[in-house]
Amino acid sequence: MNKTILIAKKELFRIFSDRKMVFSLYILPVIIVVAIYSIMGQLIGSMSKDIEEHNAVITVVNPTDELKDIISSSEMGKNADITFVTEDEYNSKKAEIEDSILNGDSDLIVYLDKDFGSVADSYVAGGDSLPSMKIFYNSTENYSSASYSNFDSEVVDTYKTTLLDSRYGDLSMLNAFNVDSQVICKEEKANMEFLAMMLPYMVVMMLFAGVMSVGVDAIAGEKERGTLSSMLISPVKRSEIVAGKLISMAILSIISAVVYCVAMILSIPNITGGVGNMGAGNISFTVGQMLQLVAIMVVLVYFYVGVIGLIATLSPNTRAASSAISPIYIVIIILGMMTMFRTGGTNSIGSYLIPVYGSALAISDLCKLELTSINFLASVTGTLVCGIILTFVVAKAFNSEKLMFNA
Amino acid sequence: MIEINNLTKIYKLSAKKKRELKTNKDVKIAVNDLSLTAKPGEIFGLLGPNGAGKTTTLRCVATLLKPTKGDIKVCGFDTVKDAQKVRDSICFLTNEIKLDEHFSTDYLFNFFGKLKDMSDEEIAKRKEELFAAFNINEFKDKKIQELSTGMKQKASIAVSLVNDPEVVIFDEPTSGLDIVTAKGVLDYLKKLRADGKTVIVSTHIMSEAEKLCDRIGMIIGGKKVIEGTIPEILEETQTPDIEEAFFKLYMENTDEKEVK
Ligand SMILES: Nc1ncnc2c1ncn2[C@@H]1O[C@H](COP(=O)(O)OP(=O)(O)OP(=O)(O)O)[C@@H](O)[C@H]1O
Ligand SMILES: [Mg+2]
Repeated sequence: MNKTILIAKKELFRIFSDRKMVFSLYILPVIIVVAIYSIMGQLIGSMSKDIEEHNAVITVVNPTDELKDIISSSEMGKNADITFVTEDEYNSKKAEIEDSILNGDSDLIVYLDKDFGSVADSYVAGGDSLPSMKIFYNSTENYSSASYSNFDSEVVDTYKTTLLDSRYGDLSMLNAFNVDSQVICKEEKANMEFLAMMLPYMVVMMLFAGVMSVGVDAIAGEKERGTLSSMLISPVKRSEIVAGKLISMAILSIISAVVYCVAMILSIPNITGGVGNMGAGNISFTVGQMLQLVAIMVVLVYFYVGVIGLIATLSPNTRAASSAISPIYIVIIILGMMTMFRTGGTNSIGSYLIPVYGSALAISDLCKLELTSINFLASVTGTLVCGIILTFVVAKAFNSEKLMFNA
Repeated sequence: MIEINNLTKIYKLSAKKKRELKTNKDVKIAVNDLSLTAKPGEIFGLLGPNGAGKTTTLRCVATLLKPTKGDIKVCGFDTVKDAQKVRDSICFLTNEIKLDEHFSTDYLFNFFGKLKDMSDEEIAKRKEELFAAFNINEFKDKKIQELSTGMKQKASIAVSLVNDPEVVIFDEPTSGLDIVTAKGVLDYLKKLRADGKTVIVSTHIMSEAEKLCDRIGMIIGGKKVIEGTIPEILEETQTPDIEEAFFKLYMENTDEKEVK
C-alpha cells in the first residue's frame, strides 16, 4: 500500500512539475469551455433578437375599447397580428385556437371576462369587485413566452395604470384587476433545462479526455520509453504498480473535472445574458445533489481509468494506444449526446446500468431535478462494477510478459 | 550466485515480428538449453554476436521473462516462484531500461530507494557514496532529459545500485560510452567484484571481455558453445586470443546450423 502511494505520488509530481502538461490538462479545457460558452451566448443572443423581430400572433377575447386603444398605441400593437373575437366566436373555435398555441402557430390568448368592461367601469366608479383577465401562453415556446412578457409589460400594465388613474387620480393603489396567467412548466425546472442539456455531455466527454491524456502516457508511454521495466524489476507487486498508476490517473482527472465544472458554472451567465426567460443564472444545487453529482463523476472517472488503463497496457506504444482509444472516444461522445436530445419520457432502470450512458442520464435527470434514488444507484452501480472488472483485467495484463515486453 | 539450468526461451512470433525477421516460422528459439553458473566475487561475461540470445538470457535472470523450459536460481531463489525475493537482491541495467526523463537523478534515487524498502538514512548514506563514485553531484538536480548519454548512464547505474544488490546484471555496460566513461564503469564493476558481488555482463566486444571477465560463456544462436576462464578457452580452442577463439567457434557452429 505504501508503495502504491509512493508510485501515485511520483506520477502526480511528474504532471504538476511539467508546465506544458498542466496547461493542456487544466488551463486549455477552461479556455475552451469559456470560448464555447461565449459563442453560444452570441448565438442565443441572435436568437433572442429574432424573437424580438417576430410578429406575435395574439387572440383577444371580449376586448374592451380601452384595451384595443392601448394595444394599438403600444409598441407591440404595431407589429403583432392581433385577432379580436367575441365570447361566442371564441367558444366555437376554442379547441382550434388552443391547439395553435400548443403547436406554436399562435403565441397568446388574452381572455377578458364577458362583463370585464362593466366591472371595470363600476370599479373606476368605486366598486369593490375586480375585473378579471386570463392570459394563456406556452412557456416551452420561445416566441410565446416572449409575447407574454411583452404583452404583460406593454399592455396589461398600461391598462392597469389607466384604470387606477381613472379611479383614484393617482397610482398608489396596488391592484386594478386580476391577471391569471397559465404557465405549463415548473419554474425551477425551466431554469435547469439548459444545464440539463449541456452538463452530461460535457462531463462525460471532458472526463474522458482528461484521463486519456494522462493515462496513455503513464502506461503505454512508459512502456515505450523503457521506464516501466525499471519498476517491474523492483521488489514491488504488479498490483501495487497498477494501483499507483490508476489512482494517480483518477486523481488527475477528478481535479480536471472539478476545474472544468467550476469554469462551466461560472461562464453560464455569458449565455443567459441575452435572454431573460432562460434564467439559467440562478442554478442552485442542494448539497445532496452536489454529492450525487460528485459520486457519479468519481465512479465514471474510475471506469474511464479502467478502460484507458487496459488499452494502454495492451498497446505496445502510445501511438497504438491513441489510435485504439479514438473509436472509444467517439462512442463516449455519442453516448453523451444521446442524452442531449432526449425527448421527454422516462428511461428504464436498465439504461441507467449502462456505463457512461447511465451516468449521462443521471446527470441530466439531476439537473432537471428528476433523479430518483433508484436510478442514481443503478447508474453508480453499473459503472462501478464495470470499472472493477476492468481494473482486475489491467492487473492481470501487467503480469503478461508478452504485453509488457512485446515478448 | 546465479545458476541457470537448461534454460530455453521461445518467443511466439506475431505476424508483424515475422515480417520484421523475414521468417515464416511461428516461434523463435532465442535461448536453447543453456546452463551456466556465476559465482560471488567474479565477473561472468556472456559473449556472443548480435541476436545470440544474451539479452534474452539476462532478462530471464532478472525475472522480466519466464523461462519456457528450465529454471534459474538467483541467491537460491527461483526467478518464477520467488520473483519478489529475486528482485530484492538484483539490479538490472540495460539500454532498454531507462530512467524517466522528467525527473532528476536525486528524485529517482530516493524513489527507487523507497521502492526497495530502504529508510531515509540508508538512502542518504548510499547516495553520498554512489554520487561521489560517479561524480553525479554536479548534475544530481538536473532532469534526466538535460543530461548527456554518459551522464545518463552514470545516473542509471547509481540509481539501480541504490540498495547495494548482491547480484549485478549488466547488458552491454559500455555501449554508447566514450573510453573515459567506459573505463569508469568497468572499474566500478571491478570494485563490485572486490566487494564479493556476483556480476554478470553481456558484450560483443572481445577486448572488453578479455580485460574484465573472470569467466566467459560464449553463446551462438541461443546455444552455449564454450564456458571457462580465458586460459581454459584458449587452451580448448587452440587459439592465441579470445577473438580468434570466437571466430573459430563461430565458423564451426554456424556451419553446423546450415548443414542441419
Ligand atoms: N520480443 C521478441 N519477440 C520475438 N523475438 C525476439 C524478441 N526479442 C528478441 N527476439 C529474438 O531472439 C533472438 C535473441 O535476441 P537477443 O536480444 O537476446 O539477442 P542479443 O544476444 O542480446 O543480441 P544483441 O547483441 O544484438 O543485443 C534474436 O533473434 C531476436 O530476434
Ligand atoms: Mg542484446
